[in-house]
This record gives sequence, structure tokens and C-alpha cells, in this order.
Amino acid sequence: MKQVNQVKLGAKFIADTPHRVSHDRCLWAARMRRDSVAQRIPEWEEMRSLASQIKMHTLSHLDSYLEMFEEKLKANGIHVHWALDAEGHNRIVLDIFQSHGVKVVTKGKSMLMDECDMRPFLAKHGIEVYEADLGERIQQLDDQRPSHIVMPAIHKLRGDVAKLFAEKLGSDPDIDDPSYLNSVMRKDMRQHYIHADAGMCGVNFGIAETGGIVVCTNEGNADISANVPPLFVASMGIEKLIPTQSDLALFIRLLSRSALGLDITQYTSHYHGPRKGQEMHLIIVDNGRTARLGSEYWQVLKCIRCGACMNTCPVFRRTSGLSYDAPYMGPIGIVLEPSYNLDRYARLPYSCTHCGSCGDVCPAKVPIPDLVFYWRDVVVKQGKDQLSHRIEEDGMELVLRSATNLSHAEKLGLWALRNLPQGLLNSSLNPWAKAHTNPEPPKETFRQYYARKYNGNTKK
Amino acid sequence: MDYKQSSRDIILGRIRASHPEPVGHPEVPMYAIGGDPVKNFTEHLESFDGKALEFASRADALSWLEGNIDLSGKRVYSSLPDYKGNVSDGDVTDPHVAHIVDICVAQGLMGVGEMGAIYVTDESLGLAACALFSTDLYLLLDRSKIVDGMHHAYSQLDLRANRYGSFFTGPSATADIEAVHITGAQGEISLTALIYG
Repeated sequence: MKQVNQVKLGAKFIADTPHRVSHDRCLWAARMRRDSVAQRIPEWEEMRSLASQIKMHTLSHLDSYLEMFEEKLKANGIHVHWALDAEGHNRIVLDIFQSHGVKVVTKGKSMLMDECDMRPFLAKHGIEVYEADLGERIQQLDDQRPSHIVMPAIHKLRGDVAKLFAEKLGSDPDIDDPSYLNSVMRKDMRQHYIHADAGMCGVNFGIAETGGIVVCTNEGNADISANVPPLFVASMGIEKLIPTQSDLALFIRLLSRSALGLDITQYTSHYHGPRKGQEMHLIIVDNGRTARLGSEYWQVLKCIRCGACMNTCPVFRRTSGLSYDAPYMGPIGIVLEPSYNLDRYARLPYSCTHCGSCGDVCPAKVPIPDLVFYWRDVVVKQGKDQLSHRIEEDGMELVLRSATNLSHAEKLGLWALRNLPQGLLNSSLNPWAKAHTNPEPPKETFRQYYARKYNGNTKK
Repeated sequence: MDYKQSSRDIILGRIRASHPEPVGHPEVPMYAIGGDPVKNFTEHLESFDGKALEFASRADALSWLEGNIDLSGKRVYSSLPDYKGNVSDGDVTDPHVAHIVDICVAQGLMGVGEMGAIYVTDESLGLAACALFSTDLYLLLDRSKIVDGMHHAYSQLDLRANRYGSFFTGPSATADIEAVHITGAQGEISLTALIYG
């Protein structure tokens, strides 16, 4: 299978200055807002530790909490389904929809449904799914994945959206004002809401104690999708569970502040059953999560999908989410996607500068920087790394094995700088030469300099 | 169907086979939120583009509604017993039809100072779709029901008591295009809290 080359895909975005600058600015602004709201809360760091512990507690007792959750869901009149994988999930959705004659669906955001490739599957069976979140809808109309888990179209400029909406929704191509574009979306979605046979959305938190789900959104689209049609289907990964209603307070206080630097989402909605005359279904999905639970990288399951790691990542901000060519992108993506498909995503753990910022902002303390090293180790041990990395790494291992080797390497390097032709040194064979010109060769190696300066006393 | 039932058992079996070392359930403290909750509430709600009006009594709030909502030419849905709109429950038995509503008036059950959030339920809203589809949403809120923060709110609420319960914090909004903040996305375009008492 072809490996996703994030470096190459990202380079295109880097070269596109207007898009890159806007993307970087928007995400960094979210990061700065996050810092400013977090700093106003004295217990912020303590809350992060507690959130991490609650997640670890839940994950280490997941069977009993899931059983409790299922029992309470059923008592609340919610139909519960379990899906082993993406295919199972999509089949369950299709069964529910076909048995209800569903043709039109409006849908709130769900990373899980994207992970399952649900929309194209339902389309093949003649079911129209309208993404109801503005960013998701933009991406659906443009036939692209979301580029960010919280701001799906943040890599686009307003002009891109104006052009797209003009083409697909018949709006005025010359008006690129975001307010106008939002009103085009509002008007267009209304006609789908009023014909929708079913509504769908993802889940931010499941509460084991009460048997309900919590959905946090800003636009109101998920609430409309849940409250208008006679059928409501939500999907949830097993790791989204938390034990109690009282635990929820902590996560709500962390989520939107981490994501966008806003205190809360405009809608923090709790569903504990179908409304009168409605049917409500919840699909609980594994799709690789139990394998993660039993692995060394199980703490990746603590992620609450806020996107803070993306907003802060220097690689992500400059290359955009599409360059990861995966449902999950950015720092969390590079440590999550290899567990779905190591062959395809073996290069992703290398898209990291080791600045550690993602680990510092994660509200659930997912140890992303450690997991980057974990995955690189796996990639190398399984021989999935690139040949150029392999040569570099083997070379470094040889050079750094002993002081003598290092000393020889210094001399060899200096000789090469002095004697090899520039054309060879700055050729594509040397990846460093892509962004740097080799320096003027110094008169002596560092060791020679040091020995001369301190009269051979290297112990100074 | 068979595969559904067996999926459940397979998933639970896989979990039992792969549990990490048990970690205890930490106690989440009831963190204090400084300042006056009503003042906090108003400031936060306004930061989310909501409006907050204060009245000495519920009767005053209701008469403000009478004076400020023009029923002619607008379709007004109210779930309050003491304020009547011109759209009845019978007009919107199918929530799909709720998009006809221009203005919605309902009871807020709790306010949260920390966020400027107002808790509503399917019961307090009458029909949630009317609030979500409305252009202007007015929520009455008893001053004494404004709590300090989220910890206090969740310690008092019984989420199970309602099929739908939501914290509304300002009108719907989006920042999906170049992170430009826009008030009024898919749900209501304006939200006004009428605080009384």
C-alpha cells in the first residue's frame, strides 16, 4: 500500500502563501485564546490531571461501565447497537434507515462516522446525507475530508467558499463575506431539515451513570438534527464514556476552552431518550479501539477531540490537515492513524519537530510526544520506514557509538566540505541542502579548536 | 439480529482481555467560582452575543415581553403558562413544521454564572424544535436559579429527568470560515435572557 507522504503534501500548502498565512493565523489565535482563558482558572492544571485520571479510570474499568451504560440507555428507551468495525457500523445504520424508509438525513459532526466512511456507503444505497455543520458541509460539497476536527474547512479562504457555494448552491460568486456565506448555508440547510427523515450526530461524552449522551456544538445543527426528525441515530466510540454526571462538569469546563479558547459551546446538549413519537438509536463502536486498549499506547484513548494539539502544532499550522490524508490529523493523528493502518501511515510519526507543545496543551494529558517516539520505534522495527531515514539512522548510530567514531566523522565531514564539489554537496542526495546551503568549511574541527585553545586539556 | 448481539459480547470480551492496570476514580472538587454569579452570568452571556435584561419581578418581565414582541405579522410560540403567543402546540405537532416560528418564548430552568449558560429542557421549551428554528429566542430566568459554575450546575441537575436537556449559551454561532465569528448560524439568531426576582 502506498504510504501517505505528509511532507510532500504539506509542501504544496506551504508554498501557497495566502492560505498558509491565514491558516497559521487562525489556529494560533485559537491557541492564544486558549492560554488566556486557561490562565484565568487557577485550578486549570489540576483539572487536566483529574481529566486524565478519570479517563484512565474509565478505560481500566471499561467493561463494567459499558454494561452499566447499556442498561441505563435501554431503561431510557434508547436502542443500543454494538459495532465491531466500520463495516458493522455502516450496516447497522443502513438496517435502521432501510427499515424506516429513510431517504434524507441531516447530520451533525462526527469524526467516527468519517472514520467509518459512512457517507459514501449510504450514498451507494440511495440515502442522502447532508452535513449540517458549516465547515463539514463546505468539505462535503468540495468532496474533501475535514482538515481539522473542530474547524473542518479552516484551510480554505473565504474566496474558496464563495466560489464553491456559487457553483454548488447557486449563491453570488462575487460576495465572499463570511456572514453572507453563512446565510446561504442557513437558508440551504433549512430546506433539508424540514424534509429530513432522520437526524444523526456524533457523541462527545457518554455518561454511564445516567445512560445519556452529551453533544457539544456551536451552530445548533446537531440539536436540530436530533430534535426535528422522527428518527435520531448517534454513534460513539467506546472510549467516549465517563462514569458520572459530576465528572462531566470537569470535561465541559475543559473542552471548548481547549478547542477554541471559548468558555463553553453554544449548545451543550444531553440526550436521555427519544422525544415523544421519536425513535433514538446509539451505536457503540470498537473499530480498533479495544486493540489500542490492550497496547502500550492505550492512553491515546483519553483524547476528547478538542483539536488543541492541532492549533499549537508548528507542523500542522503550516501544512494543514489535508496533508495527513487521514480522518485524524495533526499531533493526535500521527499517533492514532498508524494504529489503523501502519503501512499507509508509517511516515506520519515523522511529521513532528519534538517541540512538545501538543502534550502541554492536551486537556486529557494524552502523552502525544512520547507516543511519537513509540510509533517511530514500531515503524523502524517493522521495517516500514523510508530508506533515506534508515541510512541516516544507521549512519548516526555508527557515528555516535564512540568518541573515536565521532572524531573520525568530524574530520571526514570537514574533508568533504573542503574537497567535494558544491554541485554534489548541494544535490538532492543531501536532504539538508533542500533548505540550506552548506557553510564555509571552518579552519579546524571543534576538537582541534578546543585542544588548541586549552592546550590539549580537554577536561577544563 | 445475530451479529449485533455477538458484537457486544466480542467487544466486552476484548476489553476484559486488555484492561490496563486499574486506576482509581478521583473525586472532582466543587471548585469555587469567584464573583457574583448574576454579574458573571450577564458578562459571559454577553460575551457570547446573548442579551440579559433584569426585572424586579416575573410580572415585569412578562409585561416587557407584551410591550416588545409585536404579534402582528410574526409567528410567536410560547411554552409559558402566563404568556401567550399565536402559534399553538397543535400548529406544530410535527416538529418539521416548527420552522414557521419567528419568535420563541420559554422558561430557562437554571443559569450558570461561570459560562452565561441557561439550562432548558424539552419540557421547559414545550417543543425544542420551535426554539432551535426561531429567529429570536427569549428565555425567562429566576434570579435565584443562577448558580456559580458548572460543578454546581451538574450537582443540582437530574439529567435523567428529561429526554433533552441543554445549556444554551448565547445564540447559535459559527467561525468555520477563516475563523470569523458570526452570530446566528443554524439555530436561533438572537437570545435574550429575562432575569427576574
